[in-house]
Amino acid sequence: MPIFNPEMETMKRKELLELQTERLQIVVNQAYSNVNFYRKRFDEAGLNPDDIKTLEDLRRIPFTTRKDLMDNYPYGMFAVPLRDVVCLQFPLGMYGNSIVIGYTREDLKIWRELVARTMVGVGITEHDIIQVAFNYGLFQGAIRFNQSAELIGAAVVPTSIASAEVQVRIMQDFRSTVLTSAPSFALHIMETMKRKGMDPKALSLKIGLFGAEPWPEGVRKLIEENLSIQAYEIFGVTELIEPGVAGECLAKNGLHIFEDHFFPEVIDPVTGEVLSEGQEGELVLTTLTACAYPLLRYRTSDVTSLCTEPCSCGRTMARMGKVLKRTDKMISVRGINVFPEKIEEVLASIKGIGPGYSIIVTEKQGMNDQLKIRVEVSSEILEEREEKKAVLQGVVQHAFRRALGLGVEVELVKREK
Amino acid sequence: MLKIKNIDAFFGKIQVLRRVSLHVGASEIVSLIGANGAGKTTLLNVISGLHPSRNGSRVFLDAETRGWRPEKIVAMGLIQVPETDKVFNPLTVQENLELGAFLRRQDRALLKKEMEKVFKLFPILKERKDQQAGMLSGGERQMLALGKGLMSQPKLLMLDEPSLGLSPLISSEIFCIIQSLNRQGTTILLVEQNAREALRVSHRAYVLDTGRMTLSGTGEELLKNEEVKRAFLGKDYRGKWER
Repeated sequence: MPIFNPEMETMKRKELLELQTERLQIVVNQAYSNVNFYRKRFDEAGLNPDDIKTLEDLRRIPFTTRKDLMDNYPYGMFAVPLRDVVCLQFPLGMYGNSIVIGYTREDLKIWRELVARTMVGVGITEHDIIQVAFNYGLFQGAIRFNQSAELIGAAVVPTSIASAEVQVRIMQDFRSTVLTSAPSFALHIMETMKRKGMDPKALSLKIGLFGAEPWPEGVRKLIEENLSIQAYEIFGVTELIEPGVAGECLAKNGLHIFEDHFFPEVIDPVTGEVLSEGQEGELVLTTLTACAYPLLRYRTSDVTSLCTEPCSCGRTMARMGKVLKRTDKMISVRGINVFPEKIEEVLASIKGIGPGYSIIVTEKQGMNDQLKIRVEVSSEILEEREEKKAVLQGVVQHAFRRALGLGVEVELVKREK
Repeated sequence: MLKIKNIDAFFGKIQVLRRVSLHVGASEIVSLIGANGAGKTTLLNVISGLHPSRNGSRVFLDAETRGWRPEKIVAMGLIQVPETDKVFNPLTVQENLELGAFLRRQDRALLKKEMEKVFKLFPILKERKDQQAGMLSGGERQMLALGKGLMSQPKLLMLDEPSLGLSPLISSEIFCIIQSLNRQGTTILLVEQNAREALRVSHRAYVLDTGRMTLSGTGEELLKNEEVKRAFLGKDYRGKWER
């Protein structure tokens, strides 16, 4: 089976654990001496970086949460002077203070390699033409597909947010062999082709590399059968790198976490206790090589389980199960992350509406498809003329679209007393 | 080949190494860079068994060497070429080389063979073989020290500041020799203040800062690392917003 970096990806687990220990000690030293937040955290916990001698000692370090990142906005979590940073990225749709993640040249080089590892792992070669149908504006990680494809010599067609019809036409004309997008968009393309009576076999498409939202096995089957492709998942965490933390291989039996760069743990989200292999819980990641933005025990809110059994592909890196659940209230709609906290922020910004609201999500093939927000308003507003109500509805809808990056339906309902 | 894990070392009450870990694989050149007083030489001395360490483990060729006497470690093929007093000044070049193979002094034939190899590598030493080591130039003395280390057929050669006090021309010659030794199969752990040259010839490197490991990576990666550039390659520090 194809492997991009056999030296690392098939390293003996004993050696891998030793490499992780070495790298962990270095990242702890860096975080402690260069990031005030971590120094304070360690000091408060009565912990000295010298206490971290083994991978088990990592458990003594307190977790890092999204709130910590927001509290230290903008550059508080950076471990290098800004001068060394060559890329600043911020996830859209975040509530409160945003998060700014920095990368040095070296960080980007590693990132490029990790995405390339997954690409090679699912069978992409220099003969492939990769159609990237991610929204380059909303999802800044999309550009990594270009850079990693370059690394392995594959060609990239950044079709981005072109409509499904245009995507299909390009797919046909350019003879694209790989589609990478949110799985919901692949479904949309699939339906469009069906509607137009087009035969997917007429396309050159062989491989689908999907991510950015949860998608059950059923969806994989549906896409594979209807588009006549093999579909794989690539996984990332916005606050570290997205995509590129983990990726499936040809075995489709879990996602290999790139453990030479990230140390994974799965914890009980309530007690914080580290769970053993196979048990489902919240994924916690520690960066082992990140220069600019080291994170120690970052709680990802993604629910999964780990497996270190050898994989038939030859990789020794641990595998994580598909992420289908979250520990927080974030929902993912067509690849866009929606935080309830953000919805509350929008409601608070418009006079006379809210704060009460409810969310109705309609599903398609077991995946979130449409978002409807029922906003509570006073009875006076509801008694207004229809045109006036329509204007308010439009304003709210527009505000949501801008804040979430997603078109939603808005319904005004009577405020419960 | 060599695996150091969580080593602590002290001078009296002062801790100079803090849970230092590092590994050197077979036929690698690994360099250890760091400022004065970072603990680089102490780490080499610990590995050689010359300086006591506390805690942690030191595994060379799958054997735990903690508590071993230095000569036993040398006999295993782990040779350190020290930074200073590397040659015996009153003795001749030849005598110095013979001392390098002290543990094998009975085997005259082998000694002769090894010496021929060293002379082939450093022809200048052959010319000067009857001169006192103290009469040699700095570069020649360094070559003699290297040759002395090679006499005991090292599996892992630890070099402490081989370019110290040498002109740029001679020191780049020394680095060339280090590379060619490595190509012939000797694994090398290199301690250097001349970070640029050391990183250039190394497969991997570690940065030691006041007793702690603060960076690791391939030589090429570290050469490009901004922190290394500032600390060791003479690049100034300024924030992006500062002009």
